[in-house]
Amino acid sequence: MSSSLSKIPPGVQYIFDADARLRRWIEREAMTIFDGWSYAEIILPIFDYADLFALGMGKEQAEMTYRFTGRDGKLLALRPDMTSLVARTIATRFRQSSRPIRLSYSGEVFRWDEPRGGRQYEFHQIGLEHIGSDRLEADTEALVIVIELLQKLQLEGFTITLSHVDFFTGIVENLKLDAANRQHLRDMVDRKQIALINEFLKPFTDAADRAAFCKLSTLAGKRDILTAARQLVTNEKSVAALDDLERVYAIAEELELDAHIDIDLGDVGGLDYYTGLTFKIYAPGLGAALGRGGRYDRLLENFGAAEPAVGFSLCLDWLAQLLAPKLKEAIEAQIEAAVTLKTDGDVAAAFQEATRLRRDGRKVRMAGGE
Amino acid sequence: MNQLTIALAKGRLQDVALEYLSRVGIVVSDAALASRKLLVEDDGGRYSFLFVKPADVPVYVEYGVADAGICGRDVLMESQADVHEPLDLGFGACRLVVAGKVETAERGYNLLTTARVATKYPRIAADYFQQRGVPVELIALSGSIELAPVLGLSDHIVDLVETGRTLKDNGLVVIDTIAESTARLIVNRASYHLKRATVAALVALLRHALHL
Repeated sequence: MSSSLSKIPPGVQYIFDADARLRRWIEREAMTIFDGWSYAEIILPIFDYADLFALGMGKEQAEMTYRFTGRDGKLLALRPDMTSLVARTIATRFRQSSRPIRLSYSGEVFRWDEPRGGRQYEFHQIGLEHIGSDRLEADTEALVIVIELLQKLQLEGFTITLSHVDFFTGIVENLKLDAANRQHLRDMVDRKQIALINEFLKPFTDAADRAAFCKLSTLAGKRDILTAARQLVTNEKSVAALDDLERVYAIAEELELDAHIDIDLGDVGGLDYYTGLTFKIYAPGLGAALGRGGRYDRLLENFGAAEPAVGFSLCLDWLAQLLAPKLKEAIEAQIEAAVTLKTDGDVAAAFQEATRLRRDGRKVRMAGGE
Repeated sequence: MNQLTIALAKGRLQDVALEYLSRVGIVVSDAALASRKLLVEDDGGRYSFLFVKPADVPVYVEYGVADAGICGRDVLMESQADVHEPLDLGFGACRLVVAGKVETAERGYNLLTTARVATKYPRIAADYFQQRGVPVELIALSGSIELAPVLGLSDHIVDLVETGRTLKDNGLVVIDTIAESTARLIVNRASYHLKRATVAALVALLRHALHL
């Protein structure tokens, strides 16, 4: 008994005191900012039918959920993401509402995935969804909000990499690859295996195109890389993607946010899910992206209501981990000292005094027999 | 801030890796190497090196504790670490093979009996046998794998072979080659962006040294 009491299942965590305060503070700052941009909070169920998550995340991802049977005999799953739940709400409850719809959320998700880079089986996502607008302003809005939040949290040295799925898709369409080869090429680009890419492309294209492709796979940086890219691609789709990137980047420059934004043309990570602009957030001290977002115009279709959408989510656990060294002390310093009231003598009087102090907003601590 | 931390696999690859690095002006002094420190800087102070067990290199890099690392493709496959892999360094070539006694090799895989496989690469070994529909019992060992079939602990081994000498000396033969392995430069996904110029410079230097 004692061993099972002290044993904690892998991937879950108990958080208390200063760490809990820090997380609540981050969450509050985030939700306040989301509200400031007119995103209404939606509180979502911890579990729902397992099939729903397969619709939202794809079958393979949804395999990694904690599943159990409901009283009606149907298979349920602890939520592995929030977007699936939002999407179904949009397609049902909000079907008649005027667009765009702006929603924000904060809560734990559960994935039976090997904890990698310090993320647990259970982790906390905060994020938002902007549904019903196919305009670039919606993408820009998401980007501006995420930067406002990270600045407000005083996260140092963060970089947001901005990408566009059509850039890669446009190039690959011209190569006439079958699905398996397309996936293979994508994996190599994702891992930046330049020599292998060059070898792989030999049967499909000439040396000049191969060199261009390899260069593009690693092309990342400020606005000037767009100019470099334009000299290497001519297909309509990729050029349109570059135009979108350029437009959003230009706005970021006007807003003086460009120092935080890098364009990354070699990001092919979310091709199955995203459909337009995408971004990832990196910060010193963390080996993986602490958040990501982008346009996903195809997802709502799975729920029977095709419409465009943009969203992002951040991992609160990682944010807290990054901010803790800097902010924990400051947050602890803000903790108000409590007035200690002895309850050894007249108990009623002590509580009377306590309620009086509480009405004034003071913090009290009842001390009996201490 | 712009110093790069590089994890190097101790043992087989370490000396060759340091030799290639020194050719491009990244020199770790003998004095630094001789010290028992686990973290040493190069003479220019631009890089700090971390010497760890080969299988741990992808872990340090994936978590971002090291920005980059040099390790064999074998450990990279086994770890399935989510990292960038910009350069095949070409050196440290060897093969990841299935081996066993001559009798085992002649018998082939039996789809009805469980193959007992001793290995340092449980994930790769499981994948290999499962893909062929062969039921498999894995025996995870951390060294002297060749001993397992000799003493009857296992039917097969999945191990790294450089010359094949150890196999031969123990009366074992290669049954199948799973993959060719060479040393790889790997880079953490966040470092790739946060220290882009420094990482790109390292890749360019090494590419130059390898005449790629």
